[in-house]
Amino acid sequence: MTERLGVGIGWRPEIDLTVERLPDIGFVEVIAENIRPDRLPESLRVLRARGVPVIPHGVGLGVGGAEPPDPARLAHLAACAGALGAPLVSEHLAFVRAGGLEAGHLLPVPRTRQALGVVIENVRRAQDALDVPLALENVAALFGWPEDEMTEAQFLGELVAATGVKLLIDVANLYTNQVNLGLSAVEALDGLPLSELAYVHVAGGHSHGGVWHDTHTARVPDDVLDILSELCARVDPPGVLLEWDDDYPSDEALETELGRIRGAMARV
Amino acid sequence: MSENGPQPASGSSPGPPPDPGARDALARAQAELLAALVAGGETPAGFDGERLRIQASSLIAKRRGQVARLRPDLVRALGGDFAAEFAAYARGRPKPPGGSRADARDFAEALRAAGRIAGDPALDPAPEPVPVPEPVPRPRWWVRLRGR
Repeated sequence: MTERLGVGIGWRPEIDLTVERLPDIGFVEVIAENIRPDRLPESLRVLRARGVPVIPHGVGLGVGGAEPPDPARLAHLAACAGALGAPLVSEHLAFVRAGGLEAGHLLPVPRTRQALGVVIENVRRAQDALDVPLALENVAALFGWPEDEMTEAQFLGELVAATGVKLLIDVANLYTNQVNLGLSAVEALDGLPLSELAYVHVAGGHSHGGVWHDTHTARVPDDVLDILSELCARVDPPGVLLEWDDDYPSDEALETELGRIRGAMARV
Repeated sequence: MSENGPQPASGSSPGPPPDPGARDALARAQAELLAALVAGGETPAGFDGERLRIQASSLIAKRRGQVARLRPDLVRALGGDFAAEFAAYARGRPKPPGGSRADARDFAEALRAAGRIAGDPALDPAPEPVPVPEPVPRPRWWVRLRGR
């Protein structure tokens, strides 16, 4: 599966008309938990009618959790993919709940051999429930687990080798981990099986007290675009998608951001 | 896909099955960490406590943003105190099972109980039992035509 997707943007109801009007949008992503497959938003139907691929992007599965993935959540993802005619479904290498508590956020998994075995089985269950390929995204972290035995690139590499899962590489998350945890983004790129890349995420954020918060609410920093260029020097990504989640700027500003992304991809 | 949910993959794919105790060990470790982040639990051994405090604050800020979007009336009523009031409410109190809508309702109730806002039940948004939030339907097809 290396369908050419091009440059895209995260579809959000607040910017639906903007997304429809932006020039040369190759694909969009929709947060799977925010739609019902039997009542798709009109804007997504408009985009589909134009032949724009729409990828359901889940945030609540928690495939890195200790519990096997919830069959109802998997059925929802599968139904979203079916209703949208999506070429794949994406989620995160993260856990989002534990011990009856919801994190409301994507938290990093302990990268141990023991945890890897659990996540491999979780991913296989997810793949069995989906009719299309699954891609997993690297997450932004503010902390590491003391028992970590592998880098995230190694962990994802093992996961890809064992399950055939595809990769969604978020270069803003690599940047976040570089700033917050001192983990080199370029080394991560060198360690990842980029031949299995499905697409790429790019986003902006904010710095507070030396800590980078990947908020998806600001202009993409040049440093993040540099990591995108580094990635493009290693592999021709099937797709690159801008995430913007709140404090939406003007249509022109979003168009400018997409132009900066295209520029960073062409810099190679 | 199956109507009955996914079948265990063991045996159908290569690779060793996970260590039988691995799920339990992972469950304990993740539960302990999450309790520290959202429910006032102790910092688990070996973690950087300062980093976990930053993560906990970040989780509260994310909840606050979602509640602010759902309840602009509370943002107006509290003015510059909104962030501090929400932090005081949310610290050590996990997000309720009903998601952001339940969080917003519980926050409003906590404010009313503390006398910070008037006890006007009309301030409550209509109850929404649906766990999947719906994008606001906006019948603007004419705008779409104009944009072509």
